[in-house]
This record gives sequence, C-alpha cells and structure tokens, in this order.
Amino acid sequence: MAEERRLFPQRLETDAESVERDLFKLVLTIIELVRQLMEAQALRRVDEGDLTDEQVEGLGLGLMHLEEAMEELKGRYDLTTADLNIDLGPLGTLLSE
Amino acid sequence: MAAVLLRDAGPAVSAGPVQPVGDRTGESVVQRPQPQISLVDLLDRLLGSGVVLAGDVVISLAGVDLVQVKLHAMISSVRADMADPRQAVRGGSGG
Amino acid sequence: MAEPGRYLYAVSRGLEPGALAATRGLDDARLDLVEKDGLVAVVSDVDLDVYGEEGLRSHLEDLAWLERVARGHDEVVQAVAASAPTAPLRLATICLDDDGVRSRLREWHEPLRQALDRVEGRREWSVKAYTGRPADAPAQDAQAAPVTGGAGAAYLRRKRSQTDERRAAEEQAVEAASAVHAALAAASVASRLLAAQDPRLTGHEGTMTLNGAYLVAADDAEAFVAEAERQAADHPDLQVEVNGPWPPYSFATLDQP
Repeated sequence: MAEERRLFPQRLETDAESVERDLFKLVLTIIELVRQLMEAQALRRVDEGDLTDEQVEGLGLGLMHLEEAMEELKGRYDLTTADLNIDLGPLGTLLSE
Repeated sequence: MAAVLLRDAGPAVSAGPVQPVGDRTGESVVQRPQPQISLVDLLDRLLGSGVVLAGDVVISLAGVDLVQVKLHAMISSVRADMADPRQAVRGGSGG
Repeated sequence: MAEPGRYLYAVSRGLEPGALAATRGLDDARLDLVEKDGLVAVVSDVDLDVYGEEGLRSHLEDLAWLERVARGHDEVVQAVAASAPTAPLRLATICLDDDGVRSRLREWHEPLRQALDRVEGRREWSVKAYTGRPADAPAQDAQAAPVTGGAGAAYLRRKRSQTDERRAAEEQAVEAASAVHAALAAASVASRLLAAQDPRLTGHEGTMTLNGAYLVAADDAEAFVAEAERQAADHPDLQVEVNGPWPPYSFATLDQP
C-alpha cells in the first residue's frame, strides 16, 4: 500500500560518499538556523526604529548575500531547505520553514 | 480545488462506489466491506501516544549532542501499565 | 514456546457467539469469549515470548511487526463492533489466563459499562483539515514602494512581508480549523481533538490543522458527512478529509490504570 510505504522514512546510506554529504548537511543546517535567527533579529531591530538608514541598508545587504551564499552551498549538494530540517520529536522541527 | 476527500465512507453512507454486500442467501452473517483505517490513524489510537519519527542524521560526531544519530520510527512510550503477565497470579483466583 | 497468554482485543456486551465465527485473532488463533458480570472480553492465545513485556520492547521499533499486529487487532475490533457495542483495548493488553481476564473485567467494570453506554449505536468519524501548499509569495521587489535606501532595505522589506503573510495565513488556518471543528462537534454526540500527525507519516504536504474524532449515531452518518462537506465548501482554503465509519477507538478505549 503506497500509504504504508511512506511510513518508513528514507534509510540513509553509510558509505564513504554519503558520509561527506551527511556531514555537510549537518553543518549547513546549523548555518541555516543561525542565518534565520539573524534575519529575525534584524527585522526586530529595524522595527524598533533605532537604526540609521545606512545601518538598515548594510544589514539588508549582508543578509541578502548570506541568503545567496546559502543557496549556492545547498546547490552544491543538491539540498533543499526541507532536506536540512531536523525533526526534534516533541520539540518540533529545528527550522521554522 | 477539490475541498472534500471522502474515503471509505462505508455502507452506511453512499458517497463512493457501491460495494457488494455479500451473499445473503447462504450466510447467517452479512459480510460488510471493512472501512480501511490508515496505519498512522490506527497506531495513534491503539498506542497510548502514537508514532513519532526521531531525528534524521546518520553521522555520529564525537561530542555532538544536538541531533539523534539513527533514523528509525520510535514509539514514544512503552506503557508501563501494559498488562504484566505476573499480575494475574498475584491477584489470586478471584474471578 | 512459553505458556500462552491471553491477548485482549476488546470488551463488549450482548455479543452473539456466532458473530465472530469468521474471524481469527493474531497468528491465526481462535477467538474466545470470556464473560464476567455481563461484559464479554474477546481474547485469543498469544506467545508471551513475543507479546510479553520484553518481546514487545524489542518489537516496538519494528514497523512491519507493528503494522501486522495493529491490522490483526483492528480486524477483530471491527468484527466485534459490527455486532455489538464495543470498547476496544489498546495494543498488547495481555493477561496470564482467563482468571486474569475476569479479574480485569471486574476491576474495570464501571468504566467499561459507561464506555459501552456511550458508544452504543454510534460510530467514530475522523475529520482532518490541511492547509493548502503555501502559495509562492508574489514578487514584492517588483513593487514601486516608497524607497528609502537601496537593495538591502528592499530585501528586509521583502522578508518582513513574507513573515507577516506567513503569520496571517497560519492564523487564518487555525481560525478556519476551529470553525470546522465547532460545527462538527455540534453535529456529533461527542468529539475529541487528536494530535496533528507528522507529515512524513501521512505523506501529506500541507500542514495538518485539524485532527478531529467525532462520535456520531449510525443513523446520523449522512447528515454528519453533509455537514463536513458544507464546512469544506465554506472554507476553500482548507483541504478537508473525512474517514469512517470506524469502531469508536477514541471514545471507548480505556486508559488503563
């Protein structure tokens, strides 16, 4: 039954090639988490209104470049954001999106 | 967009293909098609706390406590009150 | 093989002995009825090595095993429920022997009687609601917004509006799901909200915003389903899924002390 197939999550291989990819995935996940936290914090600071126009522009550019860099890194190993999202069980998923 | 998916409405509600009800002449019990419950729904109901998928990374890194190592489906609790076969003996021959 | 234990599937009353003639228990075992004070437990012999505490622990992470046992258990529960009011028991409720079964029936008599009263003539329906896949955000940067600053500020504005949109969509989905639940609760004898299911288990892409169980009189089934269809039409942003009728798992299964 197709439905029951999905109940079995993907079995991850343990050969040398995928070890590298999985390690990379872990590292990228942490970077992505930090990136999302930074973005959320930046938006909060902008809302508070105590930043100069230059600071806002600088923040935005930096975050934009960070996002582009993440896309490039993910592309290297053919990973999507969904691939990076680690499920912590009762704590929910690590990334918010 | 199709808003309602009706599945396995069963013989009580004619919302799907009509299922043959079985041979009434020979049987004393009418066989009804069993509505199918998905495995997830069934396990949620049969187990105290259902099925939980644990985390997702195969790599074991020394000192990394952030993520689980193995991918497996994990039942979140083995109920402590699952009938202990020895209890019946201690309970004596009440009955 | 060790001494067999008695695996309990469900408790019923007024069950005709012939009702289960065509059904077998786990491992193709014969089903037996054990009576006590008007309540009837449906049981079969099982190998305690497999289904006893230790055996269970070793199997609980084996989904193939779980599936087989759950389906076998459900098959018996369905057969009983087709014939008489039924209180299903949780997976792997096991007693050493029939005296043990009777002892349980005596101990649980009152909660069981109430559960059977509650479900007599009624069936469980499951209604789930999912949000659709989030639509791709319209290209905000194409707008001619009052521009203060350059590309960086624009990037932040875009992120801000994406966050706002996502939050608004979540709130709306929760509101819609609550409205659907309220309407269905009013159309049923009893209702329960169950935990949302992991999308990796259901294979469904949208977010599950409602996992409701509803106890509905057998005669009211069509009216209930019609109400669910009405709710789905009223909330086109939700995908509504109706399943049933099922034995009353969510309304009669005892949380055993």
